[in-house]
Amino acid sequence: MIAEEPRVDPKKVTELATSLETELGRLIVGQKELLRDTVIALIGGGHILLEGVPGLGKTMLVRSLGQALDLTFSRIQFTPDLMPADIVGTNIIREDSGRREFEYQPGPIFASLVLADEVNRATPKTQSALLEAMQERTVTVGNETRALPVPFFVLATQNPIELEGTYPLPEAQLDRFFFKALVPFPSETELLEIARRTTGATIPELHAIGDAESIIAAQQVAREVPIAEHVLRYAGRLIIATHPSRTELDSVRKYVRYGASPRGLQTLVLAGKVRALLEGRYNVAFEDVAAVARPALRHRVFLQFEAEADGVTTDQIIDEVLERTTKESASP
Amino acid sequence: MSSLEAVVAALRRSDARSSVPRFFVHAAVGAGIWVGAVLLITRLVPFERRLQLALLGVPVMLAVAATAWLASRPGPGVLMSLADQSLGLKERLSTAWERRASSGLMDDLQRLDALQHAKRARLARAFPMRVNRREVGVLAMVAVAALLLAILPNPMDRLLAQQRADAASQAAAANAVHAVEAKIAANATTVPPDPKVQKILGATEKQIRQAPDPRQALQAISPAEQQLLQLSDPQTPARTSTAQNLANSLSATKAGKAAGQALTASPAKGAQALRELASQLQSLSPQERAQLAQALATAAQHAQDPAMAASLSRASSALAAGDYAAAAAALSDMASQLDSLQAQQNTDAQVAAAINSLEAARQGLAAQADRDAAAASGGAGAGASPGAGAGASPGAGAGASPGAGAGNANGGNGTGGTGNGTGSGGSSGHGNSGSGTGSGTGSKPSEKLFVPGQPVPGQFENDPTPLGPGQDVPLTPYTQVVQAYGKAALDATDQSLIPGSERDLVREYFSTLGAS
Repeated sequence: MIAEEPRVDPKKVTELATSLETELGRLIVGQKELLRDTVIALIGGGHILLEGVPGLGKTMLVRSLGQALDLTFSRIQFTPDLMPADIVGTNIIREDSGRREFEYQPGPIFASLVLADEVNRATPKTQSALLEAMQERTVTVGNETRALPVPFFVLATQNPIELEGTYPLPEAQLDRFFFKALVPFPSETELLEIARRTTGATIPELHAIGDAESIIAAQQVAREVPIAEHVLRYAGRLIIATHPSRTELDSVRKYVRYGASPRGLQTLVLAGKVRALLEGRYNVAFEDVAAVARPALRHRVFLQFEAEADGVTTDQIIDEVLERTTKESASP
Repeated sequence: MSSLEAVVAALRRSDARSSVPRFFVHAAVGAGIWVGAVLLITRLVPFERRLQLALLGVPVMLAVAATAWLASRPGPGVLMSLADQSLGLKERLSTAWERRASSGLMDDLQRLDALQHAKRARLARAFPMRVNRREVGVLAMVAVAALLLAILPNPMDRLLAQQRADAASQAAAANAVHAVEAKIAANATTVPPDPKVQKILGATEKQIRQAPDPRQALQAISPAEQQLLQLSDPQTPARTSTAQNLANSLSATKAGKAAGQALTASPAKGAQALRELASQLQSLSPQERAQLAQALATAAQHAQDPAMAASLSRASSALAAGDYAAAAAALSDMASQLDSLQAQQNTDAQVAAAINSLEAARQGLAAQADRDAAAASGGAGAGASPGAGAGASPGAGAGASPGAGAGNANGGNGTGGTGNGTGSGGSSGHGNSGSGTGSGTGSKPSEKLFVPGQPVPGQFENDPTPLGPGQDVPLTPYTQVVQAYGKAALDATDQSLIPGSERDLVREYFSTLGAS
């Protein structure tokens, strides 16, 4: 297969990503890692699951992203009574010149940026409708299949507390998220800065620094970034190391129920490529793979009950896998 | 950097600077271990060229290290990857090298980026020279150990010197035998060499050269002397005396004067002259014939050899009776006996020369064997010789051959284990060779031997003399007297007319005692 030449200068992708981070940073206080993960997932062409308690700026982040990229934006608040048709749209009866006919009314999923707020509050049926759209990037209503806009980027949020009456996403559906980013509570300094920015007379307005085309071009360029064979081997070994039946790590054997899927490896490589571009590099380094391992794998590694009992988190397991998987052994 | 190949070349140089000293240290450690091992082993096993063998380890280990270095040199991909890690280039070089054949905007950018970073990085420092302290410590310890082993005296030196002296003495003895052999062969035009003598000398020379030590070489001499002596005829002196008497008698006559002078010169010439005289008997005057018959009768009366006396008597009687043919036949018979005498004298001369050479060889070998025995006994006294006091020592037998020709044999006693030996008596005058068989009984190496003793040098008269087990007479420890006894016996053999074979037996006997 002949690789397609990137249509834009890779340096412009770097500039776009850097500008986007900077622009978002004008409104979002702190959360550097979250911003970086969001940009990587966007350019990587994947969706992101944000997990954090209410009030940490998840919705603001998505809204800001829509402003900064001049993309269509919609927000879906997931509730237990939300139906699939409320997301993908439905056929309604329309009367025109005495004739009644069905007309498709698109749902909020038809936007380039979709915020699926508190996705775990909807029923599995409704979740499936969203996740199918995320995977296929098409929506089928009745007998007709309709393509979603390009780019299509879903940012789902879920609250780690208040689990009463929620429907946790099943493993197969979690795997469809490119990243799972944690939204940490801001530090004291960041809290004060949030107060300053949001309680003043003016609120900063974001300028559009990109559009759908630039994002699509950036996604194409990111896929062209070369990765050396030994770096790819390293990524593969990371994935294998998360599997209890194939790992040499005692903690993985003890605490992990299922290891990361092949989608995890795809995400590691693709996210590594985007991160390399963001770093101004044109090749994937070991550190790129390691840097994206947490958000790429934390929702793909499923722990046993013993882990919960012992207070072991997925991030701890991933950190140990990173620490014990040597780069030297993957070198030529 | 103009190209990735140039980067690889620079990295290869850096790797060589880093790895060569490391491999050199490996080689030095290996060479040190080799040298130490060789020096250690040669303290237990005698080896003549130990320094050469030890130093051989240096080039060998250098060659091994160089080969290992060449075999372990990393390939370009590995070099690039290692340089990425050590210089923090974030896999730029390894990716560029891996995709060096790929083309496209992204690959070109990546290569350019990699080369720019390589230019800024100090590639020479990609592989820093690291010294493994533990390895250097091991090297220092090995070097010190090897140096100590080289400096400290080697207990095998004395043994090697002894082996060299043994070899030299054996070579000298064999050369002496060979010289006589060559001399006899060189005189073949005047005196025909006796093939038996030549064969005995050749075999003896070979045995001396091949013997493991002088003591064993000595054992080849006595049998050779015996064989040579068997080539001598005991009647030769009697026949020589008879020939001389005949020469004197004939010189006093007119007709036999020339024959007498010729016989005085040599038996062969005398035989020729007698034959001429026999052919001229008829032409002699009666007075000359009577004078000649009288001279032959006188010679016959003084002859010590019966056969010659008979021939002379027959010649005299026939000449006196006028039977010229019978007289001529008797004179011809006498001439034949003179020819035989001449041949025997030639053989005797060669035997004498051979025995002289064997005696010279014996002296040299015996002296070296004595030194070896003294060294061995010295080692036993110090308790350092592992063979001291052990082993089965053969008994020594000695035979004495009196001049009357009736030999008898006396057995000797051996010590140390149970042994037996065979001694042979020499020949003296007209006696026959004697032979003897000895048997010995010995004690175990751990037993302490006692002999009836007298004060020895260093022992005071009033010192309490220990009693032997179950005995009521004072005894002196055997080891205190054996050397003095041996020396006295050897001095006595040197000063008296004792055949060489017996001297060997005495020397061997005391050497055995000293060794045990």
